Amino acid sequence: MNATFLLWQKHMKRALVHPEEIVGMLIQPILWVILFGVGMRSLMGITNPESGNDYMTFMVPGIVALTAVSGAIAGGSTWLNERLIGIVKEYLAAPIPRLSILMGNATSIVSKVLIQSIVILIVGMFMGAKLSANPLGLLGGLLLIAGYGIGFSGFALAVASSTDSSEGYHMMIFLLQLPLLFLSNSLYPLETLPAWMRIGAYANPTTYVVTGLRQITLGPVPTMGSAANIPLWICFAVTVGFATLGMYMALKAFMNAIK
Amino acid sequence: MNTNRTAISTKELTKRYAEDILAVDRLDLSIQTNSIYALLGPNGAGKTTTISMLTTLIKPTSGNAQITGLDIVQQPDEVRKRIGVTFQEIVLDPDLTGRESLDFHARLYGIEKSKRLAKIDELLTLVELEQAADRRTNTYSGGMKRRLELARGLITNPMVLFLDEPTQGLDPQNRAKLWEYIRTLRENTDMTLLLTTHYMDEAEALADRVGIMDHGKIVVEGSPRELVSQMGVDNIQIIGFGNQDQFCVYAKALPYVESFNASNGIIQIGVDSGNRRLVEIVETANKSEFSIEDISVAKPSLGDVFLKYTGRQLRDK
Repeated sequence: MNATFLLWQKHMKRALVHPEEIVGMLIQPILWVILFGVGMRSLMGITNPESGNDYMTFMVPGIVALTAVSGAIAGGSTWLNERLIGIVKEYLAAPIPRLSILMGNATSIVSKVLIQSIVILIVGMFMGAKLSANPLGLLGGLLLIAGYGIGFSGFALAVASSTDSSEGYHMMIFLLQLPLLFLSNSLYPLETLPAWMRIGAYANPTTYVVTGLRQITLGPVPTMGSAANIPLWICFAVTVGFATLGMYMALKAFMNAIK
Repeated sequence: MNTNRTAISTKELTKRYAEDILAVDRLDLSIQTNSIYALLGPNGAGKTTTISMLTTLIKPTSGNAQITGLDIVQQPDEVRKRIGVTFQEIVLDPDLTGRESLDFHARLYGIEKSKRLAKIDELLTLVELEQAADRRTNTYSGGMKRRLELARGLITNPMVLFLDEPTQGLDPQNRAKLWEYIRTLRENTDMTLLLTTHYMDEAEALADRVGIMDHGKIVVEGSPRELVSQMGVDNIQIIGFGNQDQFCVYAKALPYVESFNASNGIIQIGVDSGNRRLVEIVETANKSEFSIEDISVAKPSLGDVFLKYTGRQLRDK
C-alpha cells in the first residue's frame, strides 16, 4: 500500500514538474467537448433545435471514456519509457510487492483521468449538457470512470510490458482504441446500430461505462434512445470485471517480462 | 542470520535465455563478508546477468544462490532488504532532484523520516553533491550521476552492495573519486561489495579477490597478487613471422620459462627475469627461423592473466 502510494505520488509529481503536461491534460478534453461536441450539436440541431443540447448530454460520457483511454495510453507510455531507461529496476530491486508497482502506475493514471472527467463534465454543462443534480449520481459516475480507467490502464501496461518498441506499443494500443470508442454506444444510440455492430458494442466495456454514466450522472436524453436498456448493476459489474481483468493481464505480462 | 562469514554464495547458478543462449553457466562463487570481489570480464561474459540474479531482478534457470544465507528464489524480499545495487546503465529519474531521488529510494525501503533525512545529508556529503542536491538529475554530469547512484545504493545501509560497472564512461578523475569512496566503505563498514568491471586496473586497485569471467563461467579466481604471480615474474611479448611452431617447441623447453601462451599472433612467455632472458629468447627465435617484428618485456598484469585463461585480450568482444 505504501509503495503504491509512493509510486502514485512520484507519477503525479512528474506532472507538476511538467506544466505542459497539465495544460495538455486539461485542454484536450475541453477541445473535444467544444470542437467535436459543438459541431455535432449543430448537425443534430438542424432538424430539431432541442436535440442539439440532447446530443451534448448524450456524447459527454463517450468523451469521458475516450479521455480515460488516452490517459491510459499516456500512462502505458510512461511505463514503457521507465522500462526502457531501466528505472523499473530500482523498483524491482526494492522489497515491495510487484503488484504495487503496477498499481502505483494505474492509480496515477486514474487520478489524472478523474480530474479530466470532472473538467469535461463542467465544460459539457456550459455547452448545454444536462448533469444529474444527485451527488450520488456524480460519485457513482466517477467510480465507473475509475474502474474503466484501471481496466484500460491494465491493458496499456500489459502491452507496454510485452514490447521493447515504442512504435510497436503505439500501434498495438491505437488498434484497440478505435473499436473501443466507435464499436460502442458512445457516439450513437445502440438501437440505431446494425446487428453485428450491436453485438460488438455489447462485448465492449465502454458501452457499460457510458450507459451507467447516462443513467446516473447525466440527465435523461429521450430523443437519443433509452439509456436504461442495460441494468445499472450490470454496468458496475462489467466495469469491475474489466478493471480486474486489466490488472490481471498487466501483472501477468509484467511477471513474464521479468522472468 | 549468516554465521559463516560468507556473504554471497552460489552453487551451479545458471541462466539460459533461449535454447542457445547460456548467459551464466553453473557458476560457483563464495564471497567473504566485508571483502571486495570483482567479476572481471568482457562484455557478454555474463557479469550483469549474474548480478541481475543475485539482486533478484531475474530468476535463475537452475542452481541456487544465497545472500547473507538467504535464498534468492525462496526469500527474495528478505534478500532485497539486505542489498543495495547500482546498475550498469544510469537509472535516475530525470524529473527528480538528487535529494528527491535519495528520499524516494529510502521511502521505498520504508526508512522513517528522521533517519532518512540525516542519512541523505550524510551521503550527499560523502559523494560531494551537497551543492547540486536540489537540482534535477538531468542537469548532472555523468560522474555526478554515478556518485548519486552510489549514494542511493548506500542509503538503506545494505549488508551487500552490488556495483555493476560502477565507473563505466567516467573520466579518470571521477573514477579515482569513486574508487576512493568504495575503499572507504570497505574500511569503515562491514559491507561486502561485489562489483563487475571490464577494466583491469579497477579490479587490481579495488578487489580483494577477482574472478575472471568468460562465456558465463569463472575461468580463474584469486587475489590480484596471486593471479599475477602465477604468470611468472616477467612477461616477454613477441610478435613475429616464420616458423612459429618450431619456436614454440624450443621456447617451451627452456628451463626458466614458467608459462607460455600463443594466440592471435601474440606469443607471451613468462620468465623469471625478462631483461636477463631477452637475448636468449631472441637467439632461440633465430635458431627456429622465426623472425621477431616486435618484442617487449613487461611486468605481468591482470590483463596477462586474462589473456592466458581466455586466449583473448579483454578489449575483444
